[in-house]
Amino acid sequence: MPDKNTALVQGTLDMLILKALALEPMHAYGIGLRIEQISQGVFQINPGSLFPAFKRLERAGWVDGEWRATENNRRARYYILTSLGRKQLKAETRDWKAQSIAITRILEA
Amino acid sequence: MNIFRHLLAGLKELVRRDKTESELTEELNSYLQNAAEAKVRAGATPEEALRSARLELGGVETVKHEVRAVGWETALEVFLQDVRYGMRMWLKAPLFTVVALATIAIGIGANTAIFTLVDAILLRPLPYPEPQRLLVAGTHLRGGSGVELISTADFLAWRDRQQSFENIAVVDRSGSNFALSGMGPPERIPGVRVSANFFSVFGVAPLKGRGFRPQEDRPGAPGVVVLSEKFWRDHLDSDPEVLGRTLTLDGKQHTIISVMPAAFSFPPRKPAAMWANLTLSPPAGRPPYALLAFGRFKPGISPRTAEAELNEITAQVTAQYPNSDDLVAVTEPMKEWMVSDISTALLVLLGAIGLLLLIVIVNVTNLLLARATARQSEVALRMALGASRMRVVRQLLTESTVLSLMGGALGLLLAFGAVRAFLAFGPGQMPRLEEVSINPGVLLVTFVVCVGCGILFGLAPALETSRPSMSGTLKGTTRSSSSSAPVHRTHRTLLVFEVALGLVLMIGSGLLIRSFVRLSGVNPGVRADHVITAAISLSGKYSDPPQIQQFWQQYLEKVQSLPGVSAAGITMSLPPNLLLITNPFMVEGQSFDRHLQQQLAEEMAVSPDYFRAMGIPLIKGRFFSPSEKVEGRKDPRIVIINETMAKQYFSGKDPIGSRIQTGEPDPNGPWETIVGVVGDAKYSGLDSSPAPTLYVPYNEYGWVTWSRDMYLVVRSSGNAQELVPAIRSQLASMDGTLPLAQVRTMEELLDESLVQQRFRTWLITSFAAIALLLSAIGLYALISYSVSQRTREIGVRVALGAQRGNVLRMVLREGLQLLGFGLLLGLLGAFLATRVIRSLLYSTSATDALSFIATSLTLFAVALLACYIPARRATKVDPVVALRYE
Repeated sequence: MPDKNTALVQGTLDMLILKALALEPMHAYGIGLRIEQISQGVFQINPGSLFPAFKRLERAGWVDGEWRATENNRRARYYILTSLGRKQLKAETRDWKAQSIAITRILEA
Repeated sequence: MNIFRHLLAGLKELVRRDKTESELTEELNSYLQNAAEAKVRAGATPEEALRSARLELGGVETVKHEVRAVGWETALEVFLQDVRYGMRMWLKAPLFTVVALATIAIGIGANTAIFTLVDAILLRPLPYPEPQRLLVAGTHLRGGSGVELISTADFLAWRDRQQSFENIAVVDRSGSNFALSGMGPPERIPGVRVSANFFSVFGVAPLKGRGFRPQEDRPGAPGVVVLSEKFWRDHLDSDPEVLGRTLTLDGKQHTIISVMPAAFSFPPRKPAAMWANLTLSPPAGRPPYALLAFGRFKPGISPRTAEAELNEITAQVTAQYPNSDDLVAVTEPMKEWMVSDISTALLVLLGAIGLLLLIVIVNVTNLLLARATARQSEVALRMALGASRMRVVRQLLTESTVLSLMGGALGLLLAFGAVRAFLAFGPGQMPRLEEVSINPGVLLVTFVVCVGCGILFGLAPALETSRPSMSGTLKGTTRSSSSSAPVHRTHRTLLVFEVALGLVLMIGSGLLIRSFVRLSGVNPGVRADHVITAAISLSGKYSDPPQIQQFWQQYLEKVQSLPGVSAAGITMSLPPNLLLITNPFMVEGQSFDRHLQQQLAEEMAVSPDYFRAMGIPLIKGRFFSPSEKVEGRKDPRIVIINETMAKQYFSGKDPIGSRIQTGEPDPNGPWETIVGVVGDAKYSGLDSSPAPTLYVPYNEYGWVTWSRDMYLVVRSSGNAQELVPAIRSQLASMDGTLPLAQVRTMEELLDESLVQQRFRTWLITSFAAIALLLSAIGLYALISYSVSQRTREIGVRVALGAQRGNVLRMVLREGLQLLGFGLLLGLLGAFLATRVIRSLLYSTSATDALSFIATSLTLFAVALLACYIPARRATKVDPVVALRYE
């Protein structure tokens, strides 16, 4: 999928979604908003790529989907991090840190 | 674990497709609402907010599509959709589809049928436990070749001294039938005598009953017999109490000790209905050589070691019998021994059918290419609407694979019919036929071949049609031939190959036909018309020579006196290929060297009138006379030789009165005096080269006991077939237990001896005919297509004054060019390919000029006609119509 609007590193969207869900279950819009906020607007999430990512994560068993009422009493599909997803997030975070340190070292050498 | 979850989730989605879809729609809607609300809060109007939220999302349908694409189940759905679409497309073009399906069905069907045979006969392991440890063992003269029969002396030595085999057994090859009496009219049943450990070698346990006991092949052991499941079922109604019953075989009582399972079959080609115990007496001398040995070597021993050990023992036996031949032991894996003679013919068939399949693929590819141009605008429209090239190619490949699978299904029906027909024809011609079946393995191969073919013949058209620069197509400029030029080029290249492949097949078949014609024209050396033959075996109760001689003499007198009989005789061997024995011989004056390759003669005992009955001409000297009966060792012995022997060994001399010695060389042994020379007759097959033949009187000392199994030969003055009832009743009047078996006219025997050659010639020729037809269809289609593409051009030419002849030449030139390249390539291919069938040809060179030229001309003529028809149509183009057409 071509991600035209974002400078997201390939494959990091899944990790960011997992991170966003680590605090509390959220719906699609909320997740996109949360990632933008935390990154202070650096990452503009293409909403079109969010939905395939949700399906991927559900298939992998890292998140569960559930219909709930929103704060303004509408129905929305909330995504919940599973314990498998939590483990995955931990592993990905660790890998990412190791990689980014290495890359930083290379770039500053 | 992960795969499981994906599989399960995908299946769940497939089942609850609607729910997932509506949930996705709802989720996207709720997202849009959230996004729009946020925009409204930032100051946009509600309409604007929704619009820009939609834009950011990038199209609801696109997102849905991308979400769906995450799971594997969508790929499956798309595939099924393509399949349904493909089916509809094929149904819309029925004529095209019928031609394509028929072509594919022939290709796949013939392939499956031949592959079924190759699989059962050549590929599958033998149906015994650990068949790779089974060897066939025999001996041959030092410097000779092949696994030949061994003597009792060699076998007993092998059995008692060898260490390499778990078991080693023999089958007696001197007989392949038993005369079964006491159960209705006497009957000949296929059966062999085997040593006691025979079944242990194969490692197959009986269905019921016990195996032979070790003492049951010792001299004096009572007769016991093991039945095949088929005989038990057909002759004894699967009697559950069959064990312990007795059968009268060759006049001797045999107790039934067991029944073998249906899957056990031996020997190959002519499976026995029963196996009786062979009693092995310690021999007085080394010959005769009538046994074939089978062994299962021990695990961890190599076949080479086993053979070396047998060879050592054979050397000891040779030392024990100083006058006997210098033999070496040889072994061969049992499977090779069973199939070696048929494997070349089968592999050639497989090769031929492979060529045919290639031609089929090329032809269907060309059909699809022609159709592809018709579908260019549809495909261009799809691509303009956003279908990726990948997606279009995938759909077109799915369509061609669907076509191929439908054709393959029809082909399977053909294959079932062909295999059944083959099994009806094949018994006696091929080994392991009882194992032939279209099994799951064969079906799998057929399926893979079908899918492979579908992709192969779909690929070129799919790539051509989905070529990106198709904008011209939409604009409707298809008629200018430039846009389809690449399609046309692929088309033409393939056609050159098709013609070439077809020519290779046709030349192969031409060679086989020529060889077959030569073989059918071979003079068998006998006058085959008006001759009836039959086999008669005297049972064990005819044991001493006078009794046997008396029987034959009386019977022949009775047959001779029947009305319509002009001559009647008996013989041990029958033309053209039922030779029983060959014997070494020496001409007086020759010196003997036991290490030299022996000179061998076909030798047979005959009655005096045999030559007249068979129509073998006397060239010199005289026939035997009925009064000659030699009783004692001291009496003079006489022999008749054939022309070849007279030429080879008595050139320039008069053979009459010369003396020869046969069998084991023995300086003090009796000499045989030549009394006559007769014309050559073939006894080792019509394709055999002339060999020395010796005839001896059947009632001569030493031969009488051999003369219990004889062929009766009767020449009739009218229809030979009509004599059979009288001949049979005369036999019954002498002994009611003796069957008159294998009743054939001499013409039938000649015919049957060529059945294998005729079959493979017929088969390859029909492949070649199909190839010719397909090539003609291919050329016809191409030229027609080309003419239809060039209608406008031709119209312009005609309008500008081109003559019909010019147009005809122009169109034909295109076809002739292709044809020329194809023929050239085909001749080259045939030069390389026909050498593989060299061993199947009789006195025909693998590069026989006539076959090459005649088949090339045939192909050329047919192809020319295929080009001419559409070319003539081109000359009828009306320039006014053609130009208005634009």
